[in-house]
Amino acid sequence: MTSYFIRRLLLIIPTFIGVTILVFTLTRLVPGGPIERMLSEAALAGADETATTSYDSQGGSTLSDAQLEDLKAYYGFDKPVVVSYFEWLGKVLVLDLGRSTRYSDPVWNTITDRLPVSIFYGVWALILTYGVCIPLGIYKAIRHKTAFDNLTSALVFAGYAIPNYVVALLLLTIFSANLEWFPLGGFVSDDFDELSGFEKIGDVSIHAVLPLIAYTLGGFAFYTILMKNSLMDNLAAEYVRTAVAKGMDFRRAIFGHAFRNSLIPIATGFGNNISLILTGSFLIETIFNIDGIGLLGFESLVERDYPVVMGILVVSSILFLIGNILSDICVALVDPRVKFGSGDAGQ
Amino acid sequence: MILDRLRQSFALNPLTVKQWRRFRSIKRGYYSAVVLGAMIVLSCGAELLVNGRALIVYYEGELYFPTYGDIIPGSTFGLDYEYETNYRDLDAEFEEQDGDNWVLMPPVRYGPLENNLTPGYFPPYSPSFETGHYLGTDETGRDVLARLVYGFRIAFAFASLLLLCNYLIGIAIGSAMGFWGGVFDLAFQRLIEIWNMVPTLYVIMIVASIVIPNFWTLAAVMVALGWTAMTWNMRTSTYKEKTREYVLAARALGASNQRMIGSHVIPNTISVIVSFIPFSIATGIFLLTALDYLGFGLPPPTPSWGEMLSQGQKHIVTAPWIILSVAIAISIVLVMVNYIGEAVREAFDPKKFAYYQ
Repeated sequence: MTSYFIRRLLLIIPTFIGVTILVFTLTRLVPGGPIERMLSEAALAGADETATTSYDSQGGSTLSDAQLEDLKAYYGFDKPVVVSYFEWLGKVLVLDLGRSTRYSDPVWNTITDRLPVSIFYGVWALILTYGVCIPLGIYKAIRHKTAFDNLTSALVFAGYAIPNYVVALLLLTIFSANLEWFPLGGFVSDDFDELSGFEKIGDVSIHAVLPLIAYTLGGFAFYTILMKNSLMDNLAAEYVRTAVAKGMDFRRAIFGHAFRNSLIPIATGFGNNISLILTGSFLIETIFNIDGIGLLGFESLVERDYPVVMGILVVSSILFLIGNILSDICVALVDPRVKFGSGDAGQ
Repeated sequence: MILDRLRQSFALNPLTVKQWRRFRSIKRGYYSAVVLGAMIVLSCGAELLVNGRALIVYYEGELYFPTYGDIIPGSTFGLDYEYETNYRDLDAEFEEQDGDNWVLMPPVRYGPLENNLTPGYFPPYSPSFETGHYLGTDETGRDVLARLVYGFRIAFAFASLLLLCNYLIGIAIGSAMGFWGGVFDLAFQRLIEIWNMVPTLYVIMIVASIVIPNFWTLAAVMVALGWTAMTWNMRTSTYKEKTREYVLAARALGASNQRMIGSHVIPNTISVIVSFIPFSIATGIFLLTALDYLGFGLPPPTPSWGEMLSQGQKHIVTAPWIILSVAIAISIVLVMVNYIGEAVREAFDPKKFAYYQ
């Protein structure tokens, strides 16, 4: 088992390098970078064609010369590609992600400032998803092909099919704009600081209801059906038949034997939650105007604050990487059969 | 009935027939497929149903069909202007004249790009049968229903294009990875792993914020980031298929690699490919709508669902009909697509459970 972990951890290195190369390639796209220069030269050459579509749809501010110089210095546009890649990588490793052109704070601080809000929603979404899906999946597996099963299947599939931001907008229209049960967005009210302790909790909660529904609804289908199917696979397995044949009652057969084994596929996805927790969904954060990392990324993109954009890209890519490893470790912990490098075809 | 006859004339193989029967027996998916199919066919001829141009104009003993083709200037019909005829006004005028001339308008009398302003009132106008804006208008006086219909067509065409490109790349690379394995497989595995590490939507937005997007460049960017899913699925299923006896038999008969992949392996993975199609369509529509919503998608004034969503959110209190129409339309379409997907999967890979109580 130890050697599995060590080998898995060693595999991070090539993937990490690959991810950083990919992100680095994208940084070459930012204004002042080589790709933009190429594009503008191409645009000059074919001015007639592109003149009509000169693109500034977000009304984004063009960057000042000083800011462009900053970008050039940070990404090393004046140096050979390989040199500037390694210099940039060195900076990323010590969490120097450059300086925001909008706030002129270090990017790392800008990102960590927004963390608590994103973590709040991420953790609650996680608790809700697992808290609803596992019991629902079990119940559906036991009541397979009944009216309850069919109805909930139709519902969770509908929840899965409708994109979360459409759900968010629908909820907002119905419950905030029309019925006025919930606020139209934000993390807390404007007068939050003046509220007492209990009122603060109430204020955060009432702001959190709609976003949390939008966050979690899409995930319900996946985990519920996964739970149901894997539990049913296990219920059909020989060892459960044996247990029942030996006189164990059905309830204990489910919870004592089948349930534990059917958690394995659920564990597979567990690590990926880390990136959801930390980066959230910027669509939902944008719609509800929640000041988390997602909204930060979107606003930076609109305002052309490229150091922040690239910083978030680096952070979320690396988080994804860590999430995958966490998932692998979770699976290895719950399923002793996992061995590194075998059973490749089944992946 | 038509389908039955088609089946007889094409003599499908029995497995396909069985899968088709199974698909039909899953009511939720089957009816979704019928409805969605009808919607797609109708949307192909959307110009005939939802259009500011008339279907037929009868003027001074001559018939005109303005729907397709060049614009017909107003002077043709005895009006005093040279720009395109306003057929709704023409209709009203002919009614008034009470002569032999007549205009046949489509059921919805507005095009997706026309701004129809009522003097003295500011858009958005609420839904009304009198004006013919059945779902109201948006903030610049464009008919919501017309934009919904054309937006549906564009979204579907876009998703289908993405699907085609992603699947071509995915099938080619994926089956090669699975079939040859070894270094080639390993190299692409790492590449895909890295590719999957970056948040797709965010990267598309970054690229779209820098490079000018239109229908084709947007599709190109999305394919560049989206080819990995199908590649991975094809790799897995090719991997499984190539160890089967029929491949061995083909090899023993001296079939070339190309033949083994092309005529043996890929046809046997077709069920995997088909069962992913609805979900890929749903993803395509989701991506395009999300990008349009955020303002990084197709350039205006293309009718688009995402753009309508963001407009609707702006007028959420004053003009809820915009957001309700488009949100409900998206929901219905995507739910149907997913029901189809669920039924297709069930038809190709029926899960039969037996358990003991």
